[in-house]
Amino acid sequence: MVPWYSRQELMVIEAARHLRDDDVVFVGTGLPLLATTLAQRTHAPGVVCVIESGVIAPQVRPTPLSVSDPKVMYRAARLGSLREVLGCLLQRGLVDVGFLGGAQIDRFGNINSTLIGAPGAVRRRLPGSGGANDMASHCRRLLIITRHERRRFPERCDYVTSPGFLDGPGGRRRAGLSPEFGVTVVTDLAVLENDPETCVLRIAQLMPGITVEAVRAETGFSLDAVSGVREVAPPATGDLRVLREDLDPDRVYLKEEEPVARSQA
Amino acid sequence: MGSSATTGNADKVMSAAEAVARFVRAGAILGMGGQNVGRCPMALSHEIIRQRIGDLTVVGCNLSISMDQLVGAGLVRRCVGGSGNLERFGTTFCWRRGIEEGTLAVEDMSHLAMVTRFLAGEMGVPFMPTRSLLGSDLLGPSGGSGPAKAVVIDNPWNPGEPVVLVPALQPDVSIVHVQRADRTGNLVVDGFATHEPEMIRASRHVIASCEELVPEEAIRRHPEHTTIPFLYVSAVVVQPFGAYPTSTYRYYDYDAGQVTAYQEAARAGPQAVARYLQENVWGVATFDAHLERVAGGARRETLRQAMQAIT
Repeated sequence: MVPWYSRQELMVIEAARHLRDDDVVFVGTGLPLLATTLAQRTHAPGVVCVIESGVIAPQVRPTPLSVSDPKVMYRAARLGSLREVLGCLLQRGLVDVGFLGGAQIDRFGNINSTLIGAPGAVRRRLPGSGGANDMASHCRRLLIITRHERRRFPERCDYVTSPGFLDGPGGRRRAGLSPEFGVTVVTDLAVLENDPETCVLRIAQLMPGITVEAVRAETGFSLDAVSGVREVAPPATGDLRVLREDLDPDRVYLKEEEPVARSQA
Repeated sequence: MGSSATTGNADKVMSAAEAVARFVRAGAILGMGGQNVGRCPMALSHEIIRQRIGDLTVVGCNLSISMDQLVGAGLVRRCVGGSGNLERFGTTFCWRRGIEEGTLAVEDMSHLAMVTRFLAGEMGVPFMPTRSLLGSDLLGPSGGSGPAKAVVIDNPWNPGEPVVLVPALQPDVSIVHVQRADRTGNLVVDGFATHEPEMIRASRHVIASCEELVPEEAIRRHPEHTTIPFLYVSAVVVQPFGAYPTSTYRYYDYDAGQVTAYQEAARAGPQAVARYLQENVWGVATFDAHLERVAGGARRETLRQAMQAIT
């Protein structure tokens, strides 16, 4: 019996599934931290969180609103500096996964969190890189969680804040970045992953009840699907309970939404 | 350095008004401490607003509510940093409006690139390499007029490997809020340190407000706990709750209600910001008067207990 769940809840649960036990994860607050904490409490208790403000290996308390929230510092191994985490862990190559929230993402997995428009003709100014450029430059796997909207998935970002595959195959190597890299984007419609050959994002899995056409309609670039594309597995009851009752009991990040139709599982 | 205020064991305790008047000049490069809703130097940024010291270049990593209020007061010409952001509480709205309307110049870096610039500054070298920024638009246009914000070179010891150089950054004066200090300017930061250690040591002057003034003897009995020795510090301002409404680790949590109150004004527009600053800065003589107005004793006790509950 599969319980009722929202698409956003499944998006967080699915993102958590992409973290492996003992991964070192450099994570921002919001849905990425929610998913990382969920992984720690379920299938991947060995996941190590690193947080930009200098926090190393905390046991995060519900529900932090910021990377400088004391709730992200609880029982950490160390509260250090930005240089320690961004330099001595991330740039040094000791981080497996960079985990970011919503932004503009293009077909090669490049990320824009700086501006909509053009430098000098800014239509909408966004918060900027923060540590995102550093994460995308130095992690081995980039995991992104975001709502799937056409404006968020352009053919080419207005501004490349954080490097995905840049201009395609060989782009990272030419720029001087490590080519050992992969991008996974978990949205409320699908899971996108880069094609290992062309580096272009493609549909790897679909959220329950969502068609390839529906995902394409909300994507600004031409999107292929892997052959035999699977449906994202519905949430285990235990995962939903931990997410709702332990991690975001006040629904700070989990908004009430129309439930996904009960799966036929 | 070189003045007795920073090299000797002078008594550096003074009021925020005196510290800001002595060390913050119009047109200065102002190093900004704190991050998001943690340990922002609010009492000191309020005092700069109160004295209307303008034409500032504000530099830091995450630039948060202190920067945004300075921008809202019309005192900032340029920001150099990694982000303008209060995360769940929204962006820094005065900063965003200034950039979109073309009244505020901004130089975008990543957080690591900013720390690397301060690292060069604190080590007394002109630039420092990083492998961030490669391939991204944060590198800036190549071959433009004026000095480049970053330069890609070929690693001399591994030809064919591109490396980014970023220039040293030495603020004229930095403002920070720390947990403890002594009269001579020894500082103790508890918990997360953000970019402050590098920025402080790179700065020509540092004004530190503190929760508690401790005897010099307490510092010298446990010198291994000193985060920043007195040599870098020009002024010490004793100001409990000096980071309010942001948090100070092990002392008090942030006040979401007051952060939201400012964010609503900042989002609404210049008139609402002017009203907020009039009520909370220009219309009160001191930061303590502001605290009494918006966060009385009971509220402050609640924030203390909220921090104790999670540390």
